Amino acid sequence: MIEFKDVTKSFQSGSIRTDVLNGLTFKVEKGEFAAIMAPSGTGKTTLLNILGCLMKVSSGSYLFEGIDIETLNDDNLSEIRNKEIGFVFQTFNLLERTSALDNVLLPLIYANTYPADAKQRAIQLLESVGLEERIYYKPSELSGGQQQKVAIARALINDPSIILADEPTGNLDSESSKEVMNIFKTLHRQGRMIVVVTHDINIARNAGRIIFLKEGKVEKTEVLA
Amino acid sequence: MKAIRLVGVSINAIFKHKMRAFLIILAIVVGIATLTVIVALTQGMNKQIIERIQNFGPDAIVVHSGGGKIRGPSTAAEASITRKDISDIENIEGVKLVTSFQVALDMAIKYGNKFTTSWVWGVESNWKDAWRRGASKGEFITDSDNEQLSKVCVIGQTAAKELFGDANPIRENILIENVSFHVVGILEKRGLSPVGTDFDNLVVIPFTTASRRLMNQPLYISTARVIVYNPTDLEPVAKRIKEVLRENHHLAAIEEDDFRLSTPGEISEMVKSTSKTLKLFLWLVAVISPLVGGIVLMNIMLMAVSERKREIGLRRAVGAKKKHIVVQFLAESIMFTFTGGIIGVGAGIVIAFLINLSGKPISITWQPFAIAFLFSTFIGLFFGIYPAKKAAMLDPASALSQK
Repeated sequence: MIEFKDVTKSFQSGSIRTDVLNGLTFKVEKGEFAAIMAPSGTGKTTLLNILGCLMKVSSGSYLFEGIDIETLNDDNLSEIRNKEIGFVFQTFNLLERTSALDNVLLPLIYANTYPADAKQRAIQLLESVGLEERIYYKPSELSGGQQQKVAIARALINDPSIILADEPTGNLDSESSKEVMNIFKTLHRQGRMIVVVTHDINIARNAGRIIFLKEGKVEKTEVLA
Repeated sequence: MKAIRLVGVSINAIFKHKMRAFLIILAIVVGIATLTVIVALTQGMNKQIIERIQNFGPDAIVVHSGGGKIRGPSTAAEASITRKDISDIENIEGVKLVTSFQVALDMAIKYGNKFTTSWVWGVESNWKDAWRRGASKGEFITDSDNEQLSKVCVIGQTAAKELFGDANPIRENILIENVSFHVVGILEKRGLSPVGTDFDNLVVIPFTTASRRLMNQPLYISTARVIVYNPTDLEPVAKRIKEVLRENHHLAAIEEDDFRLSTPGEISEMVKSTSKTLKLFLWLVAVISPLVGGIVLMNIMLMAVSERKREIGLRRAVGAKKKHIVVQFLAESIMFTFTGGIIGVGAGIVIAFLINLSGKPISITWQPFAIAFLFSTFIGLFFGIYPAKKAAMLDPASALSQK
């Protein structure tokens, strides 16, 4: 379970202070598929960075499985990102000139234990997203949709408790978008917690619940399923 | 295991950025090759000095007539050493043998229509023991030659070559300052003196013949060579010789010596001091050029860090700790410098051999390898740590958002 309690985040640039989050409070339960709807330029990226333990809050607290993130040091946060969080980015963020397989294996380099069947597992994950023919392809040889599928396989390699997706279909055509969202739905059915941050209501509608943000606060919540 | 995985990341990164790797390695190769060449050259110089001192003899003191600071042998004209001086020196404890000789520089030597100039030394029969150098062919000067004031000579190989070419000089007659001498032998080859003069451009004749017939110096001796039993006794024996000679020559305390002593230590000091400035300069170049390589490395690595911000951000997002990023970039730097070090030593050795072909002495020992490995690793660490730290300190969120 993840929980935001009255979270604020502001940035100081010279004498100008920008408040991005203004007392944000919400919860996402284990196994839930939640979408956070926020128009562009309203702190979506900031929220995602905080959710992904890449950034700390200015005030309030962010509880990750009951642990207050503020109490953790940089190494602890790296471990949480490694073990508990699977990132899926709008721009895929695959390593160039590196095969799909090696991209999927990337998080394991930093894991404390390297499973003996790592390669097997990575191949299985690539198969599960329909890339069994593209295992040794490099990102430049893959379509956008295929790259995003590699990124999803990478997010799953460490069997994380949460998949965190930032506009996962933002750079995809409608066909690929549908495929990617179907993968998320399947993962959700398998019991995984998924949080998708998006400005696209059609994408958000794939989730079980939509949290609408406005001016850095929760405006309303809509339960779909 | 994790360390191996992290180093694997570095190796992959190197292969993915070949041009960058090439430039860094090239800079390190130039630096380390320079270092290697200079080490080989300075060691060659040292070896040559040691060899020349060996030529001079590690257990020998040469007593020259005449004071002052002039280097090289004294000639018969400035002879001040007497027979009594020699027998007193022979009685000093630790002295094995003393040989007296008269020295004349640049004497005119003729054979038929061939002409050369050479040193001419008037020697006693034990000269060959004192210099460990006798006749390589024919006979050496004997005691009876000295008793009979024989007009015989043993000719050094440079002088022989000048006058006779490849023909055998033995049993021929040569003219030294228009006095005819019968060649009875050829001197063993000896090479260069510590100060670089040719020890083979030499003709030796009997001491007595030199004193009376050639140099007109029957009473005094120009030079003596003293051999000690034990090289560690050189300094005390030299000190004692000085005392004996000053006493024999009735020199008052304020008067300067009217003789000079050369010991191997003194000669090596002299030779070393002349090459000191050059060596200092060479070492400066040797140290600076790998440092320049290091600066190039740091520059390119800093560029790499800013180009690869997004990659660093991604690695942090999927769980890399700061130390993992440091290890990755530092390992890249060290691999560059290590590879550059190995290639640099190889290139340096090849260059040193090419220089050697032009006649300069070189010496290749384990030191250049050790120095290159240490130095290149040090450079990798020293110049690599800053870019690596910089990479690790990047804020992961903003690194990820880099375009």
